[in-house]
Amino acid sequence: MSWLKHKLEICRAVAFVTYNEWSAYRSHSLVSVFVGPVYFIVQYFIWTAVYGDSSSFGGMELEQTVRYFGVSALIGYLTMDFADWNLQMLVRTGKFLTFALRPVHHRFFALSQKLGHRVLGFIFEFLPCFLIFLFVFRIDIIPVHIGWTVLSVALAFLMNFYVNYCIGMTAFYFVQARGIRTVYQLVSSVFSGVLVPLSFFPGSVQWVMMFLPFQYTNYITAMVWSGSESIGELGLTIPQAVMFQGVATVVAALFSELVYRASIKRFTAVGA
Amino acid sequence: MRYIKIYLTCVRIAFSQAAAYRTDFILGNVITLLSNILFPLVTVVIYANGAEFPGWTMWEVLLIQSVFSMSNGLSAMLTNGVLWVTFDHIREGSFEIVLLKPLPPLFYLMAINFSTGSLGHFAGGLVLTIVSALNSGADACGIPAFLLLFAAGTAVMCGLDLIMAAISFKWVGNSRIPEIFDSISEFGKYPLGIFPKPLRILAAFVIPVAVVGFFPASALLGRSESYMLLAVIPCAVFLAFGIWLYNRMIKRYEGVGG
Repeated sequence: MSWLKHKLEICRAVAFVTYNEWSAYRSHSLVSVFVGPVYFIVQYFIWTAVYGDSSSFGGMELEQTVRYFGVSALIGYLTMDFADWNLQMLVRTGKFLTFALRPVHHRFFALSQKLGHRVLGFIFEFLPCFLIFLFVFRIDIIPVHIGWTVLSVALAFLMNFYVNYCIGMTAFYFVQARGIRTVYQLVSSVFSGVLVPLSFFPGSVQWVMMFLPFQYTNYITAMVWSGSESIGELGLTIPQAVMFQGVATVVAALFSELVYRASIKRFTAVGA
Repeated sequence: MRYIKIYLTCVRIAFSQAAAYRTDFILGNVITLLSNILFPLVTVVIYANGAEFPGWTMWEVLLIQSVFSMSNGLSAMLTNGVLWVTFDHIREGSFEIVLLKPLPPLFYLMAINFSTGSLGHFAGGLVLTIVSALNSGADACGIPAFLLLFAAGTAVMCGLDLIMAAISFKWVGNSRIPEIFDSISEFGKYPLGIFPKPLRILAAFVIPVAVVGFFPASALLGRSESYMLLAVIPCAVFLAFGIWLYNRMIKRYEGVGG
């Protein structure tokens, strides 16, 4: 019990410091208050034109699709992550040494940092955009099942972190791993459902996506938030979808630990 | 003439540098090419599901997006480096290094920051433009208007880069400035008719992002309207404004970093 208490104290301290550090750049976060609604407006007109007179497309009605893009943007503010960039930078410059010597696992430290950073995101990105979507654009953006939504967002938060951390660990193997990050971000933007809901893809693609991490960082959470009764090709209910997400997150966490144990042996602390 | 020689020398050096890190250069460009393939995915998915942008075939919409991508790639080669180098210099408080050079600062930064890494972006857009044009029955008579509008669209993108760089003199260290302009340029990637009239006017004449993709593609498809050529004027004004603003903001440089 005292172990857990100690961990929570470390987490709170690191998150608090990160929050204060990034608060100096809060105007950067406020950029989202402009960017988010502008992207949303573009999406609104694209899909309004595409739907035309038809009531349904890819199994979703226009109202659902519009809400999906609003929700998707909000999830992005809650789960945004740059653990990959940070870890790659630390390894490349050799600064990771200072973390390797500390009595705290770097992954836990990075997760705590992310918590602090996203609290800031919650205040300066999520809340303003949520209010704009709700009161200016009048989208029905309130989660249908708040409990399941909170759980799903938390899992997406963790999933995004663990996967990005794994991508970051490629820096232990390559001097410059920027290309790998770029490729991952590219593939992730498509298959996480940020650009298009995955239900618009062929069934076989959706089926394969069940076994990859991408959709658990955005699509599943967006569908849970929207209260969809049948998610993906398998027609999952909300509890089933969140269960799948939970299992995938545990697998990602275990995988990241395995990769970490293999990678740390290669760390030379020299930098490049 | 002297400036042209300097610029060409800098371009040659940029290619020599790229040759020194061949793998990084090739990998970087391959990745950019891949991103070009994924860029029109939304359009492909829409048409694959049997829906459409009213009055536009899939290849016509892809033509708009590939012309946009080509213009974006070209401007990235010419001026995008200015944005990031200015951004870094301001944050570090080291812009004096640029001011001490015996050349106009903006020209100097443009010359030494020619981006070979954006070649893949441009090439990908070019290939996609040719394929889309061939599949959408583009009209060869529209090529002169296309070239004029394409140049105007590229001027808009360069103007955007310079305005962003100019803003970074005051809004120090904000790496998210490009996101603001990226979001605005989204209006140039789709048929303009899907947007309401105020947004159409805004995208055609105020921040003329419609000239980047939609207008040149329309010219190539023989669907251009007379007012479209008029949009060349705001594009030139936009670029001139970017250059003016950048030079004006240099005078406000404080040298303290941030």
